[in-house]
Amino acid sequence: MDPVKITIDGREIATTKGKTVIQAAAEAGIAIPHYCYHPKLTIAGNCRMCLVEIEKMPKLQIACNTQVAEGMAVKTESAKVLEARRAVMEFLLINHPLDCPICDQAGECWLQDYYMEHDLSPSRFDERKEHDRKREIFGPFVVFDGERCIKCTRCVRFLQEVTHTDELTVVNRGDDSTIALFPGKILDNPLSVNVVDVCPVGALTDRDFRFKVRVWYLKKTPSVCPGCSTGCNISVETYQNRIARFKPRINEAVNSHWLCDEGRYSFHALTEGERISAPLIRQEGGLAPTDWRTALQAVIAGLGAAAPVAGVLSGRNTNEEAFLFGRLMRKIFSQAAIEVFYRERALTEVEKVLMSPDRSPNFRGASDMGVGSDGGFDALAGRLIGGGFRGAYIVSEDLATLPGDGQKIRSALEKLSFLVVQETRLTPTAKLAHVVLPATNFAEKEGSYTNRRGRVQKVNPALVPPSGALQDWEIFSRLLAAMGEKPPYPGPAEIFAALAQAIPVYRGLSYDQIGDLGFQLETRQP
Amino acid sequence: MEKILLRNVDAPDSHTIGAYRSRGGYRALEKVVREMSPERLIDEIKASGLRGRGGAGFPTGMKWGFVPKDSPKPKYVVCNADESEPGTFKDRLLIEKDPHSIIEGTIIAAYAIRSHTAFIYIRGELSFGAKVLGRAIEEAVAAGYLGKNIFGAGYDIDLILHRGAGAYICGEETGLLSSLEGGKGWPKVKPPFPATHGLFGCPTVVNNVETLASLPWIVERGAARYAAIGTEKSKGTKLFSVSGHIRKPGVYEVDMGYPFKKFLEEDCGGVPNGKKLKGVIPGGASMPVLRADELDGVTMDYESFQAAGTLLGSGGVIVMDESTCMVRSAWNISRFFAHESCGQCSPCREGCHWMEKIFRRVERGEGKAGDLELILSVSGNIMGNTICPFGDAAAMPAAAFIKKFRPEFDAHIAQKKCTVSAS
Repeated sequence: MDPVKITIDGREIATTKGKTVIQAAAEAGIAIPHYCYHPKLTIAGNCRMCLVEIEKMPKLQIACNTQVAEGMAVKTESAKVLEARRAVMEFLLINHPLDCPICDQAGECWLQDYYMEHDLSPSRFDERKEHDRKREIFGPFVVFDGERCIKCTRCVRFLQEVTHTDELTVVNRGDDSTIALFPGKILDNPLSVNVVDVCPVGALTDRDFRFKVRVWYLKKTPSVCPGCSTGCNISVETYQNRIARFKPRINEAVNSHWLCDEGRYSFHALTEGERISAPLIRQEGGLAPTDWRTALQAVIAGLGAAAPVAGVLSGRNTNEEAFLFGRLMRKIFSQAAIEVFYRERALTEVEKVLMSPDRSPNFRGASDMGVGSDGGFDALAGRLIGGGFRGAYIVSEDLATLPGDGQKIRSALEKLSFLVVQETRLTPTAKLAHVVLPATNFAEKEGSYTNRRGRVQKVNPALVPPSGALQDWEIFSRLLAAMGEKPPYPGPAEIFAALAQAIPVYRGLSYDQIGDLGFQLETRQP
Repeated sequence: MEKILLRNVDAPDSHTIGAYRSRGGYRALEKVVREMSPERLIDEIKASGLRGRGGAGFPTGMKWGFVPKDSPKPKYVVCNADESEPGTFKDRLLIEKDPHSIIEGTIIAAYAIRSHTAFIYIRGELSFGAKVLGRAIEEAVAAGYLGKNIFGAGYDIDLILHRGAGAYICGEETGLLSSLEGGKGWPKVKPPFPATHGLFGCPTVVNNVETLASLPWIVERGAARYAAIGTEKSKGTKLFSVSGHIRKPGVYEVDMGYPFKKFLEEDCGGVPNGKKLKGVIPGGASMPVLRADELDGVTMDYESFQAAGTLLGSGGVIVMDESTCMVRSAWNISRFFAHESCGQCSPCREGCHWMEKIFRRVERGEGKAGDLELILSVSGNIMGNTICPFGDAAAMPAAAFIKKFRPEFDAHIAQKKCTVSAS
């Protein structure tokens, strides 16, 4: 890493040999406009938007492919550069439809942004525009609008270089050039929607998100994908208290710039459907609403009398929740079997780029908290099916409908003398319960997840939960308080402080230290 | 003058190995592999002053010298036989009439950079040329000039003939390499340069047919004799393909520095039918046009053409007499470049078509005030800002036609019709 000093717009910048001008500038907080350059894809150099003036070089150079050299003097705002940039904008817009009012990318389109920043001149193009295809379905999640495409080839390179699935290419020449599927192929790989994220304009859009909401209305909350234990960093984007989409949030230590399709759309399954807005208690005639105090007392009394007891926590529960759940279950019954839900599946080569074999985002964290020390979920399920328990407390997992042994579990649950289910919706499992406690989903809760590689990351509330529902940690805290543990924890930060004292590998780590990009625990194998 | 490149083409059966050998063919190759080290060979070519004949005119020996000697990767030589510049057909003559000089030159170049695999990338449309070259390669293999241990000197070399699918841009060296790799004929961003990261990421030299065909003569007769021909910076002889309004069109070999006007009037017989010369494009359609009154004192070499405001290019001389509509000519050239733009980078992809559309309108009598300034502005915005020289190739003639023949363009717009009586 040889140090190199260059000047950009008269400002001296210390960087290292091997970096490109665009990288060095970005590190110094100088944004050089670009379309085709993407830090995680090979250099294409085709948009020509990043042309800069470099002293002693007769022609303008593209900043994305020009490596820094000692003493190099770069101008990114000279008259020559600004004119070249304006010219590139003009070229790109001659065949581009001016349909910002109906384009789904409006508000986050680089063409629109740079036009406002650098051009703002009326079109000199009086000729007939070339018309490409509109609304061509590329795959289950991606639709293509050829007229808006600027041929930056980011999508093509993503599919060549990241997924190695090569569904797309550029066909034809000149202004007939267009992005197209290879014959017989569709864009249907497990990471397909990343092409939408890398598209700087509105050529590739997300079929699930299209026309749902204008992007400037979205509220963006940094969080962690609940799809699996990779723990991809995401932005939970909401409108009117509903999730409109997940977008990847850059974290080089975890997911780089990417997000898998399964994770991206996982919010549908977790947030849709009618919510439970009050605790329910079994009475003659079925489950009936009750107040929290009655429900919690029923839980303590019911589980206390139903030993031996099993506890199943969801993999989407936070570290704080797992910590409290473990304490609670052992307080109810010191021999309680407590597991975090976990199931593995085989991954394809493309899935392995990003995805973990399980769908439990916080399996590692829950295990760290002591939930899951009795041989794993499958062993617990086996004991349950074999009649090994009289009582159970199931948190946010619909075990009665599990593929495979769901039916057997259902029968076992029906035989229990006392079953508590903490859930967001009245699932088939919840319908079997003696007490149902209305909980919040991952998007409504605060806490931390620890991914399979030991990175502790924050989950932040993006939605306001329905009145009547409580966050899982709050329910556990109230139950502990009701059982004599005082005072109740006021929030996840205080619970984290407690767990950081109790769990050696978390010792010394504070809640604030986790930050937006997470904190890596001392490495141990997942 | 002694012919270097066209020395064999008129001989009976010049395309056969027998005819070629009877005229001294493959002696240079034998000399190279038996007597010369690659370093000495490179020095010899540097001393000859030979510059690339594909258009750019880069010194050949220097280009070879950029190839790293100690690279663990295979090295490649590619003969660029993708000739497709409008007005240029000089390589085709060599391919069809003297294929062994190209093969011998290619092997010599391969030896210079220690390459053991060479390619001839030939334009798909040149199907007859491809057949001739294919047969010639078979003859060379049978004669032991290609293959293992040639001349018993321990040097192995394979030569592969590859037919392109016919895209102008595949004549640009990195576009050619992309195509040869099996991809779309898209030029690559430089750096890295082919000398270090060429075909399949390996060190590669791409040389034009004419460049390679010059090598056997230079090796056999010596660099000094070659360097004695031509001007200070333009050494040797050069092929010029002459077409258009000229009495004797064809391929000519001239010493560099030969007077251009004399060449057109005496060697090529001048403009036929008693018409006057109006303009000449000296280096293929991508080069700026010259008016007839600009030819005085111009000689046929890199420096003189440059001083006159144009470039030697590929040596495709296109002659236009007074009956030529320069608006139509400009549109025609612009149409070609718009059609052939590979579509990779924004200024070229969009700009070439934009220029073509305006030229077309003007030619059809639908031009309006400001159109010419707009073309000049668009060509200026393309110039120098593209991945490969194609953008310049489209922009230069567009601007030159307007600048050199402005009154004709203005009249076309004002009168909404062609003002030149075509005959």
